[in-house]
Amino acid sequence: MGVEFVKNKPLINEYVNFRFTYLLNRNNTPNSQRNLYMQSGVSSNGLDNFFYGIHGDWETRRLFAGFGIKKTEAKVLNYKEEFLQLGFAPYVGAYGDLHTWLMIKTKKNSATDTSTTYPVIKFFKGNALFEVGYNNSSEWDVHLMYRL
Amino acid sequence: MKNLYLCCLIACSLVVLAAEESMHQMHDHEGHLHDTMVDGSLLKVNPVRFDNFVSKLTEAQVAIISVNGMVCDFCARGIAKTFKKDRAVTKVDVDLAGGKVFVAYKINAKIDFEDIKEKILSNGQNATNLQVIKI
Repeated sequence: MGVEFVKNKPLINEYVNFRFTYLLNRNNTPNSQRNLYMQSGVSSNGLDNFFYGIHGDWETRRLFAGFGIKKTEAKVLNYKEEFLQLGFAPYVGAYGDLHTWLMIKTKKNSATDTSTTYPVIKFFKGNALFEVGYNNSSEWDVHLMYRL
Repeated sequence: MKNLYLCCLIACSLVVLAAEESMHQMHDHEGHLHDTMVDGSLLKVNPVRFDNFVSKLTEAQVAIISVNGMVCDFCARGIAKTFKKDRAVTKVDVDLAGGKVFVAYKINAKIDFEDIKEKILSNGQNATNLQVIKI
């Protein structure tokens, strides 16, 4: 469960999502992990503003593939967001090293009827993770995470 | 701006590839340590990582846990943190390449594989084997 603050540029509004993520399936092997999640949530704009979808990923120490489909139903507009992300690690670091991933991400949004593909670079070391991507439509796509 | 970003991305790639080559040259090329335990099972660990781990340990038990699904450093951090909460645990390290977690316990501590399995599972991975060495 979690809370996310959303600034939706195409629809020019801001709101809070109370979200719930549930692990549907996971497969661990000596060299890989695959996950499939269901996600749903409701917006601070009211109970008739909600979303649901699935997302999943598969990764080894060298390769990554992820996807997600999310349907949002809101007062003003119903729309669907999809993404596909593929990446590789240019080197395989040991525990404690700086780890680097080079990725490409494609996003499609039915509200704006746009599709965009852009590069993403991801670093993590220790408990800190930093991910940055850039695309023409929504500009910077930045994620920071620190494990407490 | 986009071209600048792509150039930065390519430059970063070259830097990390060079770093990898540098790290590769510094690595020990003896591979994994294959030693036979008293019960006849084979101990397969990274010798450099394992030697570093046990080098300052005395009067301890070392649990070598084989883990499936431990593919990233960030996930392994969670495993290490979970074990460090255990008062019987004195040291934890991870061999990502070998899929192993090294846990040093106090010499008189009881090591329960079911408890270890639960700790690993709570982080999203599966413990598949346990070997214990007394130092």
